[in-house]
Amino acid sequence: MDLVVNGEPYRHNGQATISELLRECQAEAGRTAVMVNGDIVRKSAFDTVRLSDGDRVELIVITAGG
Amino acid sequence: MVDGLKLGDRVFSSRLLLGTGKFSSADAMIRAVRASGAELVTVALRRFHPGRPVDDLLAPLAAIEGLTLVPNTSGARDAKEAVRAAQLGRELCGSPFVKLEIHPNPHHLLPDPIETFEAAKILVREGFLVLPYMPADPVLAKRLEEIGCAAVMPLGAAIGSGQGLTTMSMLKLIIRDATVPVIVDAGLRSPSEAALTMEIGGDAVLVNSAIAAAEDPELMASAFAAAVRAGRDAWKAGLMPPSDVAEATSPLTAFLADGESE
Repeated sequence: MDLVVNGEPYRHNGQATISELLRECQAEAGRTAVMVNGDIVRKSAFDTVRLSDGDRVELIVITAGG
Repeated sequence: MVDGLKLGDRVFSSRLLLGTGKFSSADAMIRAVRASGAELVTVALRRFHPGRPVDDLLAPLAAIEGLTLVPNTSGARDAKEAVRAAQLGRELCGSPFVKLEIHPNPHHLLPDPIETFEAAKILVREGFLVLPYMPADPVLAKRLEEIGCAAVMPLGAAIGSGQGLTTMSMLKLIIRDATVPVIVDAGLRSPSEAALTMEIGGDAVLVNSAIAAAEDPELMASAFAAAVRAGRDAWKAGLMPPSDVAEATSPLTAFLADGESE
Protein backbone atom coordinates (compact mmCIF):
# COMPACT_ATOMS: atom_id res chain seq x y z
CA MET A 1 0.00 0.00 0.00
CA ASP A 2 1.09 3.59 -0.54
CA LEU A 3 1.54 5.62 2.63
CA VAL A 4 3.00 9.01 3.43
CA VAL A 5 5.58 8.50 6.17
CA ASN A 6 7.05 11.63 7.75
CA GLY A 7 5.89 13.64 4.78
CA GLU A 8 7.49 11.37 2.15
CA PRO A 9 5.77 8.83 -0.12
CA TYR A 10 6.39 5.31 1.19
CA ARG A 11 5.51 1.96 -0.36
CA HIS A 12 4.67 -0.46 2.41
CA ASN A 13 4.77 -4.13 1.45
CA GLY A 14 4.15 -5.91 4.74
CA GLN A 15 1.05 -6.43 6.82
CA ALA A 16 -0.95 -3.32 7.46
CA THR A 17 -0.22 -2.86 11.16
CA ILE A 18 1.85 -0.21 12.90
CA SER A 19 4.15 -2.87 14.32
CA GLU A 20 4.88 -4.23 10.86
CA LEU A 21 5.56 -0.76 9.46
CA LEU A 22 7.95 -0.03 12.34
CA ARG A 23 9.77 -3.31 11.68
CA GLU A 24 10.06 -2.50 7.99
CA CYS A 25 11.41 0.97 8.76
CA GLN A 26 13.74 -0.49 11.42
CA ALA A 27 12.22 1.79 14.04
CA GLU A 28 12.15 0.45 17.59
CA ALA A 29 8.59 0.26 18.85
CA GLY A 30 9.70 1.08 22.39
CA ARG A 31 11.36 4.31 21.30
CA THR A 32 8.91 5.53 18.68
CA ALA A 33 5.67 7.45 18.98
CA VAL A 34 3.23 7.15 16.10
CA MET A 35 0.54 9.37 14.64
CA VAL A 36 -1.79 8.27 11.88
CA ASN A 37 -3.67 11.04 10.08
CA GLY A 38 -2.99 13.34 13.02
CA ASP A 39 -4.15 10.95 15.75
CA ILE A 40 -1.71 9.46 18.24
CA VAL A 41 -1.72 5.67 18.34
CA ARG A 42 -0.96 4.24 21.76
CA LYS A 43 1.80 1.64 21.95
CA SER A 44 -0.69 -0.97 23.12
CA ALA A 45 -2.49 -0.62 19.79
CA PHE A 46 0.54 -1.00 17.50
CA ASP A 47 -0.39 -4.61 16.73
CA THR A 48 -4.06 -3.98 16.10
CA VAL A 49 -4.47 -0.63 14.34
CA ARG A 50 -4.75 -1.25 10.59
CA LEU A 51 -3.21 1.11 8.07
CA SER A 52 -4.98 2.04 4.85
CA ASP A 53 -3.82 3.24 1.48
CA GLY A 54 -3.06 6.96 1.61
CA ASP A 55 -2.63 7.15 5.40
CA ARG A 56 -0.30 9.85 6.64
CA VAL A 57 1.99 8.39 9.28
CA GLU A 58 4.38 10.27 11.54
CA LEU A 59 7.13 8.39 13.39
CA ILE A 60 8.55 10.48 16.24
CA VAL A 61 11.56 9.84 18.47
CA ILE A 62 13.36 11.60 21.29
CA THR A 63 16.34 13.80 20.55
CA ALA A 64 18.47 16.25 22.48
CA GLY A 65 16.89 19.61 23.21
CA GLY A 66 16.72 22.42 25.70
CA MET B 1 13.15 16.23 52.01
CA VAL B 2 14.65 19.50 53.21
CA ASP B 3 14.29 22.60 51.04
CA GLY B 4 13.05 20.68 48.02
CA LEU B 5 11.80 22.09 44.74
CA LYS B 6 8.13 21.11 44.65
CA LEU B 7 6.56 20.74 41.23
CA GLY B 8 3.04 19.36 41.40
CA ASP B 9 3.24 16.33 43.64
CA ARG B 10 6.95 15.80 43.00
CA VAL B 11 9.83 17.10 45.10
CA PHE B 12 13.39 17.50 43.82
CA SER B 13 16.55 18.29 45.75
CA SER B 14 18.35 19.92 42.82
CA ARG B 15 17.33 23.40 41.71
CA LEU B 16 19.32 23.22 38.48
CA LEU B 17 17.45 21.89 35.47
CA LEU B 18 19.46 21.00 32.40
CA GLY B 19 18.72 21.08 28.69
CA THR B 20 20.35 18.38 26.59
CA GLY B 21 20.70 20.26 23.28
CA LYS B 22 23.81 21.64 21.55
CA PHE B 23 26.35 19.32 23.18
CA SER B 24 29.20 18.18 20.96
CA SER B 25 28.36 14.55 21.67
CA ALA B 26 25.98 12.41 23.67
CA ASP B 27 28.88 11.45 25.91
CA ALA B 28 29.67 15.10 26.70
CA MET B 29 26.01 15.68 27.48
CA ILE B 30 25.79 12.69 29.83
CA ARG B 31 28.94 13.77 31.69
CA ALA B 32 27.50 17.26 32.09
CA VAL B 33 24.18 15.92 33.38
CA ARG B 34 26.03 13.86 35.97
CA ALA B 35 28.21 16.80 37.02
CA SER B 36 25.21 19.10 37.29
CA GLY B 37 23.36 16.90 39.73
CA ALA B 38 20.20 17.80 37.81
CA GLU B 39 17.16 15.64 38.42
CA LEU B 40 15.09 17.15 35.62
CA VAL B 41 16.46 17.28 32.09
CA THR B 42 14.69 18.42 28.96
CA VAL B 43 14.58 16.51 25.69
CA ALA B 44 13.00 17.30 22.33
CA LEU B 45 11.14 15.39 19.63
CA ARG B 46 12.08 14.81 16.01
CA ARG B 47 10.92 12.71 13.10
CA PHE B 48 12.44 9.25 12.78
CA HIS B 49 14.33 8.86 9.54
CA PRO B 50 14.55 5.31 8.19
CA GLY B 51 18.19 4.34 7.91
CA ARG B 52 19.40 7.07 10.22
CA PRO B 53 20.29 5.87 13.71
CA VAL B 54 18.16 7.09 16.59
CA ASP B 55 20.07 9.32 19.03
CA ASP B 56 20.78 6.95 21.85
CA LEU B 57 19.78 9.31 24.63
CA LEU B 58 17.19 7.38 26.53
CA ALA B 59 19.38 4.49 27.63
CA PRO B 60 22.27 6.54 29.08
CA LEU B 61 19.88 9.04 30.66
CA ALA B 62 17.83 6.22 32.15
CA ALA B 63 21.03 4.86 33.69
CA ILE B 64 21.38 8.01 35.80
CA GLU B 65 19.57 7.39 39.04
CA GLY B 66 16.78 9.76 39.99
CA LEU B 67 16.54 11.50 36.62
CA THR B 68 13.17 12.62 35.24
CA LEU B 69 12.82 13.54 31.58
CA VAL B 70 10.93 16.66 30.62
CA PRO B 71 9.97 16.54 26.95
CA ASN B 72 9.59 19.95 25.38
CA THR B 73 7.25 21.15 22.66
CA SER B 74 9.90 23.00 20.70
CA GLY B 75 8.92 23.41 17.07
CA ALA B 76 5.25 23.94 17.91
CA ARG B 77 3.93 27.15 16.35
CA ASP B 78 0.56 27.24 18.10
CA ALA B 79 -1.39 25.68 20.95
CA LYS B 80 -2.74 22.82 18.87
CA GLU B 81 0.72 21.72 17.77
CA ALA B 82 2.08 22.10 21.29
CA VAL B 83 -0.64 19.90 22.77
CA ARG B 84 0.10 17.23 20.19
CA ALA B 85 3.84 17.47 20.90
CA ALA B 86 3.18 17.15 24.63
CA GLN B 87 1.09 14.06 24.09
CA LEU B 88 3.79 12.51 21.91
CA GLY B 89 6.42 13.38 24.52
CA ARG B 90 4.38 11.64 27.19
CA GLU B 91 4.12 8.54 24.99
CA LEU B 92 7.89 8.49 24.56
CA CYS B 93 9.09 9.48 28.03
CA GLY B 94 6.32 8.34 30.30
CA SER B 95 6.84 11.59 32.21
CA PRO B 96 4.03 13.75 33.57
CA PHE B 97 6.10 16.88 32.91
CA VAL B 98 6.08 18.96 29.78
CA LYS B 99 8.15 22.02 29.06
CA LEU B 100 5.61 24.00 27.11
CA GLU B 101 7.33 26.24 24.59
CA ILE B 102 5.69 27.91 21.63
CA HIS B 103 7.98 30.28 19.78
CA PRO B 104 6.82 30.81 16.22
CA ASN B 105 9.53 33.26 15.17
CA PRO B 106 12.89 31.51 14.62
CA HIS B 107 14.73 34.83 14.63
CA HIS B 108 14.15 35.65 18.29
CA LEU B 109 12.44 32.48 19.59
CA LEU B 110 10.37 34.55 22.00
CA PRO B 111 7.37 32.67 23.42
CA ASP B 112 3.86 33.36 22.14
CA PRO B 113 1.94 34.25 25.34
CA ILE B 114 -1.54 33.71 23.89
CA GLU B 115 -0.90 30.29 22.41
CA THR B 116 1.09 29.28 25.49
CA PHE B 117 -1.82 30.17 27.75
CA GLU B 118 -4.33 28.29 25.57
CA ALA B 119 -2.12 25.19 25.40
CA ALA B 120 -1.45 25.28 29.14
CA LYS B 121 -5.19 25.22 29.90
CA ILE B 122 -5.65 22.08 27.81
CA LEU B 123 -2.55 20.31 29.11
CA VAL B 124 -3.38 20.99 32.76
CA ARG B 125 -6.84 19.50 32.14
CA GLU B 126 -5.16 16.44 30.63
CA GLY B 127 -3.14 15.91 33.79
CA PHE B 128 0.24 17.19 32.68
CA LEU B 129 2.58 18.97 35.08
CA VAL B 130 3.02 21.99 32.85
CA LEU B 131 6.22 24.03 32.94
CA PRO B 132 5.55 26.94 30.59
CA TYR B 133 8.42 28.86 29.01
CA MET B 134 7.11 32.40 28.97
CA PRO B 135 7.94 36.07 28.57
CA ALA B 136 8.96 37.71 31.85
CA ASP B 137 5.47 39.13 32.29
CA PRO B 138 4.10 39.21 35.86
CA VAL B 139 0.47 39.30 34.64
CA LEU B 140 0.88 36.27 32.43
CA ALA B 141 2.77 34.46 35.19
CA LYS B 142 -0.19 34.96 37.51
CA ARG B 143 -2.64 33.76 34.87
CA LEU B 144 -0.59 30.62 34.18
CA GLU B 145 -0.37 29.96 37.89
CA GLU B 146 -4.15 30.39 38.30
CA ILE B 147 -4.97 27.78 35.66
CA GLY B 148 -2.81 25.19 37.38
CA CYS B 149 0.67 25.23 35.89
CA ALA B 150 3.19 23.47 38.13
CA ALA B 151 5.67 26.34 37.76
CA VAL B 152 6.32 29.36 35.59
CA MET B 153 9.48 29.68 33.53
CA PRO B 154 10.13 33.30 32.58
CA LEU B 155 13.06 34.02 30.32
CA GLY B 156 16.17 35.88 31.40
CA ALA B 157 17.01 36.68 27.78
CA ALA B 158 16.46 35.15 24.34
CA ILE B 159 17.17 31.42 24.05
CA GLY B 160 20.85 30.69 23.51
CA SER B 161 21.79 34.38 23.55
CA GLY B 162 23.85 34.37 26.73
CA GLN B 163 22.73 37.92 27.44
CA GLY B 164 22.00 37.13 31.08
CA LEU B 165 19.27 38.53 33.27
CA THR B 166 17.99 41.28 30.97
CA THR B 167 14.52 40.93 32.50
CA MET B 168 15.64 41.34 36.11
CA SER B 169 13.06 43.93 37.19
CA MET B 170 10.18 41.82 35.83
CA LEU B 171 11.62 38.64 37.32
CA LYS B 172 11.58 40.29 40.75
CA LEU B 173 7.89 41.14 40.36
CA ILE B 174 7.07 37.61 39.22
CA ILE B 175 8.99 36.07 42.13
CA ARG B 176 7.39 38.42 44.66
CA ASP B 177 3.85 37.42 43.73
CA ALA B 178 4.25 33.78 42.69
CA THR B 179 2.75 30.90 44.64
CA VAL B 180 4.24 28.28 42.30
CA PRO B 181 7.97 27.86 41.73
CA VAL B 182 9.65 30.37 39.40
CA ILE B 183 12.24 28.71 37.19
CA VAL B 184 14.28 31.20 35.18
CA ASP B 185 14.83 29.64 31.79
CA ALA B 186 16.93 30.83 28.87
CA GLY B 187 19.54 33.47 28.29
CA LEU B 188 21.87 32.75 31.19
CA ARG B 189 25.59 32.70 30.39
CA SER B 190 27.46 32.49 33.67
CA PRO B 191 27.10 30.75 37.03
CA SER B 192 27.06 34.15 38.74
CA GLU B 193 23.79 34.91 36.93
CA ALA B 194 22.35 31.65 38.21
CA ALA B 195 23.46 32.55 41.73
CA LEU B 196 21.90 35.99 41.39
CA THR B 197 18.63 34.43 40.21
CA MET B 198 18.55 32.35 43.36
CA GLU B 199 19.58 35.27 45.59
CA ILE B 200 16.54 37.27 44.50
CA GLY B 201 14.30 34.34 45.40
CA GLY B 202 14.08 32.39 42.17
CA ASP B 203 13.26 28.74 42.86
CA ALA B 204 15.41 27.17 40.14
CA VAL B 205 17.15 27.81 36.84
CA LEU B 206 17.11 25.88 33.59
CA VAL B 207 20.39 26.02 31.70
CA ASN B 208 21.43 24.52 28.40
CA SER B 209 23.59 26.62 26.05
CA ALA B 210 25.78 28.10 28.79
CA ILE B 211 26.89 24.59 29.71
CA ALA B 212 26.78 22.89 26.31
CA ALA B 213 28.74 25.66 24.58
CA ALA B 214 31.37 26.00 27.32
CA GLU B 215 34.89 24.84 26.57
CA ASP B 216 34.51 22.24 29.31
CA PRO B 217 30.79 21.46 29.69
CA GLU B 218 31.30 19.02 32.53
CA LEU B 219 33.20 21.57 34.62
CA MET B 220 30.72 24.32 33.74
CA ALA B 221 27.84 22.07 34.83
CA SER B 222 29.56 21.62 38.16
CA ALA B 223 30.11 25.39 38.42
CA PHE B 224 26.42 26.11 37.77
CA ALA B 225 25.41 23.53 40.38
CA ALA B 226 27.64 25.19 42.99
CA ALA B 227 26.34 28.64 42.03
CA VAL B 228 22.72 27.58 42.36
CA ARG B 229 23.39 26.10 45.79
CA ALA B 230 25.29 29.21 46.91
CA GLY B 231 22.57 31.54 45.66
CA ARG B 232 19.87 29.50 47.33
CA ASP B 233 21.76 29.49 50.63
CA ALA B 234 22.28 33.25 50.34
CA TRP B 235 18.57 33.83 49.81
CA LYS B 236 17.74 31.63 52.80
CA ALA B 237 20.38 33.36 54.91
CA GLY B 238 18.93 36.79 54.10
CA LEU B 239 21.08 39.46 52.50
CA MET B 240 22.04 42.44 54.66
CA PRO B 241 20.22 45.67 53.83
CA PRO B 242 22.25 48.00 51.62
CA SER B 243 23.34 51.40 52.88
CA ASP B 244 24.29 54.59 51.05
CA VAL B 245 27.06 55.32 53.52
CA ALA B 246 29.90 53.31 54.99
CA GLU B 247 29.29 51.49 58.23
CA ALA B 248 32.50 50.51 59.99
CA THR B 249 33.24 46.88 60.74
CA SER B 250 36.12 47.74 63.10
CA PRO B 251 35.97 49.98 66.17
CA LEU B 252 36.99 53.54 65.26
CA THR B 253 38.93 54.21 68.41
CA ALA B 254 40.91 57.40 68.73
CA PHE B 255 43.91 56.07 70.67
CA LEU B 256 46.36 56.41 67.74
CA ALA B 257 45.56 60.05 67.23
CA ASP B 258 45.52 60.56 70.96
CA GLY B 259 49.03 59.14 71.21
CA GLU B 260 50.39 61.54 68.61
CA SER B 261 48.83 64.56 70.31
CA GLU B 262 50.53 63.91 73.62
